[in-house]
Amino acid sequence: MIWETLFGPSVLEASLRIATPLLLAALGGAFTHHAGIFNIALEGMMLFGAFTAVVISYYTSNWLIAIAVTIAIGVLIGLLYALFTVQLKADYIVTGIAINVLALGLTTYLLRVLFHVKAGLQSTRIAPLPDINFPFLDGLGVVNQVFNNQSLFTYVSWALVVILWFVFYRTPFGLHIRAAGEHPESLETAGIGVARTRYIGAIFCGILCALAGAHLSLGYLNQYVINITSGRGFIAMAALLFGSGNPVIIALVSLLFGFAESISIRFQGLGVPGYFALMIPYIVTILALVVWSIQKQRRFQLPDAAPASEA
Amino acid sequence: MILLNGDNPIMAYSTMLQRSVGSVSGLASTLAVATPYIFTGLSVAVAFRTGLDNIGSEGQLYMGAMAGALVGIYLKGFPAVLHILLAITAGVVAGGIWGWIFGWLKVKIKVDLVVTTIMGNYLAILFTSYLANYPFKPPRAPIGSTYFVVDSARLLRFFDFSTLNSGILVAILMLILYHVFFNHTKTGFEWKTIGLNHFFARYIGMNVPRQKLWAMFISGGFAGMGGVIEVLGVQGRFVQNMSPGYGYDGILVALLAGNSAPGIFAVAILFAALRIGGIGVEQVTNVPSELSQVLRAVIILLVAAQAGIFYFAKARRKKQHDLGNTVRS
Repeated sequence: MIWETLFGPSVLEASLRIATPLLLAALGGAFTHHAGIFNIALEGMMLFGAFTAVVISYYTSNWLIAIAVTIAIGVLIGLLYALFTVQLKADYIVTGIAINVLALGLTTYLLRVLFHVKAGLQSTRIAPLPDINFPFLDGLGVVNQVFNNQSLFTYVSWALVVILWFVFYRTPFGLHIRAAGEHPESLETAGIGVARTRYIGAIFCGILCALAGAHLSLGYLNQYVINITSGRGFIAMAALLFGSGNPVIIALVSLLFGFAESISIRFQGLGVPGYFALMIPYIVTILALVVWSIQKQRRFQLPDAAPASEA
Repeated sequence: MILLNGDNPIMAYSTMLQRSVGSVSGLASTLAVATPYIFTGLSVAVAFRTGLDNIGSEGQLYMGAMAGALVGIYLKGFPAVLHILLAITAGVVAGGIWGWIFGWLKVKIKVDLVVTTIMGNYLAILFTSYLANYPFKPPRAPIGSTYFVVDSARLLRFFDFSTLNSGILVAILMLILYHVFFNHTKTGFEWKTIGLNHFFARYIGMNVPRQKLWAMFISGGFAGMGGVIEVLGVQGRFVQNMSPGYGYDGILVALLAGNSAPGIFAVAILFAALRIGGIGVEQVTNVPSELSQVLRAVIILLVAAQAGIFYFAKARRKKQHDLGNTVRS
């Protein structure tokens, strides 16, 4: 009975759904991560996306237009972020926090100015993202329950895992992005601007984070609530760092984190505090970093002379 | 942006000024709101000066607030001053430990401090929310919170009309201590040296790891103290999600202030004035109070960029200078 509540198909279905925004944002973060930018603005970028998607969908009742505008906003935020961190060489922690504060402030401000509501925007005029039905899965019992009829972006995000893995590790473009992070000098020597490459990375990051936000607001809540991301950008960051930017590992970790959140909701339903399940992403990430750090030091045997890498 | 809303921007800004510093009650509110900013600003400044990227003041504040609240609620029969001191000590220790742990991971295992402290913030918020919703929740409380602290643990309020309390005096005292510590003591000088160049610091024989661990403890302690003061002086109890991001704002305070004590005081007042003024503007016009949040972010971005613009301008001049003898590609 409890087993069924915690691990049944509906939980797995919810895990996939909850993992989607984490996955999309973390994949976006992978661009900046590989390009050598330590980006803590995922949260703010998601919030801008979530807000834009709902507002445009409200005015046009058309999710395609909403997504197009969301992508445009994602590009703008990516440019803004790159302008400060790459061009003006502002501190990335400060820039990240400022973008997060700006996102929360500006979206709440605009929500109140445009709609005169305090908590959130809910309306039948908001056209949601469509769920996708695969007819060949219809008769397949549990598989159907878990994998079929998910929101569009869930499938998009899993396709992106494959595509981005290929892009990062098998294309010249991916090589440039990774070189911008690991070996900027050699990229510059090869005649490719590091700044330009980082700009591109930041723009892709902005787009994917904005889409992650759009999934959150248009994909399954179908409304906008103030601070709708509520820390998901940081969970995405945890998944990103755990996977060191590798899309496949990011996907698996996002799924684990999605599962953690969905069982925490079940726990709450059973009257058991769900807070500890919600802590899983953060604990797992810290532990992973600890283990890697220990391994790294063993491998290089440089306990004292290691340069302090202030990320 | 205010025009967008059909309001007069000049009036909005003058209202903001008037409400925040233009009257006794406004000034009192501003000082009251500035108190937590001073503490988190100090918390971050201590860490930054010692070369530690502590982004965890938010979590340290929560741990401190909870510990202080529990001492304030469940220890009874102490005289007021002693009780308050005990609560503050508990908060400092709790916040300090929550900083020390990540400092230890950084110093001993070289785990990136920025990441662990951010994760630590969320752990602390979830953990204290759990405590406030389950073991320490009064029956029938509408939201996750503890009981109110007993009277002997309450900080003195100066006026009826404001939450301004003796916590501001503690904050100012801590600013003075911070100033004296970094400018007039040997340990303070050592910490600064470590912050500037820890290889050099080690080379001349300082125990860098030990000092860094202490710095993380003190950094977390300041944030924890800020949490306790907020509980004992303003809220009267621990309430879940009680901080609107004081810890993150502390980073911005320390940055704008260049880590100096007078600077921290001034920027904390500025941030508080923006917040109080924003609420005032909302009451008088239709401009939502979040305007102040937007203004704050813009100020930060401009200041953060300015340091970079210098760099950029210099680099470009250098590039032009070198253009003749540089072959690119």
